Amino acid sequence: MKTRGASIAACLTIGTLFLTACGSGGDSDAGGDSGPITLKFQSLSDQPAAIAATESIVSDWNEANPDVQVEIVPAGWDGIYDKLITQFNGGAAPDIIHYEAASIVPFAADGYLADLSEYMSDEFRADVPEGILNAVTVDDKVIAYPTELQSYMVFANKTLLDAAGVAIPTGETMTWDEMRAIAQATTKDGTYGLGWGLKSPTAAYMSFAPGFGGTYFEGSGADATLSIGEGEMAVPNLVDAMAFEDRSILPVTLSQTGSETLATFYAGQVAMTIQGSFQAANIATDAPEGFDWIVLPPLEGSEGAQQAANPQTLSVNIDSAHVEESAEFIEFFTQTDNLAALNEADALIPATTSAQEALAAKLGTENGWDVILSSGQHLVSAPYLFVDAYAQWKDTVATPAYQRFLAQEIDADGVATELTTGWEEITK
Amino acid sequence: MTAPTVEAGPRPTAPAPQRPKPRRTGGMARSKRREAIALVIPSLLPILVLSVAPLLVGVGLAFTDARLVRNPEYAFVGMDNFVRLADNSFFWDSFRIGMIWAVSVTLLQLVAAMGLALLLNSDLKLQGLTRVLALIPWAMPPVVVAIMWRMIYSPNAGPLNAFLGSVGLPDDINWLADFSTALPAVIVVGIWVGMPQTTVTLLAGLQQIPDELHEAAAIDGANAWRRFTAVTLPSLRPIITSITSLNFIWNFNSFSLVYVLTEGGPGGRTMLPMLYTYLEAFKNRNIGYAAAMGVVLVVVVVLLLAIYLWSQFRQDRDSTGK
Amino acid sequence: MRHLVRPAQYVALCFYIVFLGFPLLWLISASLKSSGELNSLTVSLIPQDVEWGNYSAALERQGLVRSAWNSAIVALVSTALVLLIALPGAYVLARLKGLVRGMGVGWILVSQVFPVILIILPLFLILRTIGLTDSLVGLTLVHTTYTLPFALWMLQGYVSSIPIELEEAGSMDGASRLTVLRQIVFPLLMPGVVATAMFSFVSSWNEFFFALVLLQSPENYTLPITLKMFIGGEGKVALGPLAAGAVLAAIPSIVFFSIMQKRLTGGLLSGAVKG
Repeated sequence: MKTRGASIAACLTIGTLFLTACGSGGDSDAGGDSGPITLKFQSLSDQPAAIAATESIVSDWNEANPDVQVEIVPAGWDGIYDKLITQFNGGAAPDIIHYEAASIVPFAADGYLADLSEYMSDEFRADVPEGILNAVTVDDKVIAYPTELQSYMVFANKTLLDAAGVAIPTGETMTWDEMRAIAQATTKDGTYGLGWGLKSPTAAYMSFAPGFGGTYFEGSGADATLSIGEGEMAVPNLVDAMAFEDRSILPVTLSQTGSETLATFYAGQVAMTIQGSFQAANIATDAPEGFDWIVLPPLEGSEGAQQAANPQTLSVNIDSAHVEESAEFIEFFTQTDNLAALNEADALIPATTSAQEALAAKLGTENGWDVILSSGQHLVSAPYLFVDAYAQWKDTVATPAYQRFLAQEIDADGVATELTTGWEEITK
Repeated sequence: MTAPTVEAGPRPTAPAPQRPKPRRTGGMARSKRREAIALVIPSLLPILVLSVAPLLVGVGLAFTDARLVRNPEYAFVGMDNFVRLADNSFFWDSFRIGMIWAVSVTLLQLVAAMGLALLLNSDLKLQGLTRVLALIPWAMPPVVVAIMWRMIYSPNAGPLNAFLGSVGLPDDINWLADFSTALPAVIVVGIWVGMPQTTVTLLAGLQQIPDELHEAAAIDGANAWRRFTAVTLPSLRPIITSITSLNFIWNFNSFSLVYVLTEGGPGGRTMLPMLYTYLEAFKNRNIGYAAAMGVVLVVVVVLLLAIYLWSQFRQDRDSTGK
Repeated sequence: MRHLVRPAQYVALCFYIVFLGFPLLWLISASLKSSGELNSLTVSLIPQDVEWGNYSAALERQGLVRSAWNSAIVALVSTALVLLIALPGAYVLARLKGLVRGMGVGWILVSQVFPVILIILPLFLILRTIGLTDSLVGLTLVHTTYTLPFALWMLQGYVSSIPIELEEAGSMDGASRLTVLRQIVFPLLMPGVVATAMFSFVSSWNEFFFALVLLQSPENYTLPITLKMFIGGEGKVALGPLAAGAVLAAIPSIVFFSIMQKRLTGGLLSGAVKG
């Protein structure tokens, strides 16, 4: 019985290895010594302007490096995880891979990504805020270059704030209590103070937790442990209080996406809304004429204004025949001017300080860019990026539990219990 | 009217066909079998290479601790994965939701599609146009189906609530986010998506029933309902059996539509079992454990279907062999 | 009594059409709205200002037309292949008892139930070995193989519903087996074949997962892949252009349905048994 089992396993392994071996001989570009080599760059850029920016950076590179040509392979965000899993396991992954930290880290942990530490220039390393660089460092290896970031910002309808007699906060940061007070003051005559699209609450809660010292996880990989304390519960509790004590959050928004919530913001049903910073560009195009909106200073919790960073990334396939050339291309791609142009097109925050400054100098205070860019300095790495079962816990435990809390089916203690028992069940 | 109406009379009253004829089967059966093999062979090769082989590997994985990592090393772990799965309460909870979802969508789909197929089969005007219109859900790319329905169900900017409001009904139902309406709301979308499939299948089945059967029944003075139960339904039985079993499988297996609509929410009310398998296989990269989930799904679904098919075949035999 | 039946039928039909067709109407309306209107609380089927820009934005996207062409080729070829293989197979499945049938039915069911995500990796590796990843030929083969169980299963249902007595009557008249098949069985089967063809076409035309995973170069992308690229990171959806692209993508299917539905008509029996 045992031997038969072992032989089945052996067959499977051999079969897979055989197939993999056969496969990898197949299509790898026959570059090598003669002629220019071609690097495949799987890009996820989706906005027409960002696609154009990417193309222009690549053509600059191709012009300057006749021996190392880069070919863009456009792919979509939706389904890219499934595609990458198959590409890596089937030995068909491209050389240069565009993705985001939270989703690429598991691939690094499984050994699919090249260590870029030795290729990363000192200038670049010094230019990236430490917290952001930590978000792409796995076991002391830099596995990706961070490129673009978002943070959560409070967008406000200036007309409604003025009408309520609220002084517009102008400091470096704004505390959650200030925000709550403004929400209370603007909640009247059928208008609510805040609209917050919390359809998938986990991402937002995880992002804000560092501001209250919440880390959720200790350790990394398969050994991580979860603890839910004051820091983790601060924002969920605050939302609960605002929604059900102050009644200053428009209830319907709690079950909508951020984009859906914007409609109520344009319609003047809410005075403020918490959104990903990139929405500034959408508000600028979609808001009705004469709509007077501003970006309020970054939210600050008991420990500061930190938010968890989940930068977009560029990584190199460890099985690529040209790891070094790929890294050189990424180094080029992330030069200040290039990053600034790309982030401008995507309405995101550049991962390097110099590109943030370049963009700030170029755009000034238009569409709240100055405030948004300033929030880039508060982004820090979060432990959840490096936890093995995080994705499963988020979808099957955390999101349902938070949704039940938002619907008042369970109370704060109930959430904390569900989060931890669910984690135990998943990881046992 | 050259059709052989005698043989094709309404089945219940048809003379019992004496199918087993021992003296003729010997040689016939062998040549028939050879003929059968020749007919089936062309389809076997792609099936073996592209379907059976991956399936066997997939099932085999369920007995290993395989992970999706670079340079994997598998070990045979026997039934460990299944033992672990037995007390995974999340999986079994979603299994229950999956059953409710699959059974209700399949049944409602069948009833709704039967009604539509009968309408499209009666000589109403603009038949061609209405048939094409009935297929619209098929023409909508699945990418946009969920996005479209999210817009329709939108609590404050959706046409459904606007319509309800305009006829004096409550217009603030949060269809996809309310704990009590979320599952019914996604079931309606499930029915909508599967309607063309079932309708066309049944319509083709209706078209295939020889007119003579209906005429014979009409002459016997049967009314419409009686004609439906005595002629239409028995003739359609094999087709109904086929399409309901397939619909059930598909519905049980689908999760992407529901995932885009609700992401399993609110509070896990629309979490389907396939989502678990997916998360385990791709997000946790425990493909061995996930394969065990797949095997359990196969066993349960095939068992259910076997009971259903067996009862259908038996009914079939009973009615023909009476 | 009888004169009330017709109007009632029309009312019921209208209800069905509204239920099934309204989402497409809403999609068309969305494809003509400006981004501002789409992201507002206004609910209106008629756009405030008709915005054709979404269509040009959709067409400007790389490869929409090209991927539609790829999709059409893959869908048509795999439909033809499916029918070619499934017709004889289904006949055998329906008329033969015993082990072959049992194995056939078993495979059909298991292959439909077992989660695709678990077989995608072995399948990918097999296709790599024979050099058919990132090729439309490979995708066509995969679509054929995975539509086949359905086609076999449905067609054997249609064959079973043809009374075997008809065939036996034909044989007794001295007609050869092939003649019986061609002149009696096939014409009767026509609506079922058409329904199966429509299904094969649609399922290939709409198929996303295999195409996503197998196709690597943009020039091979099929329509669902290209349309998905309108959906960006962080849930950013270019709703207007996506709707416009989806409306354009629906046109070939609707044309195909219009052609096929005429053949969905039976009533061939009288002609069929003439011989």
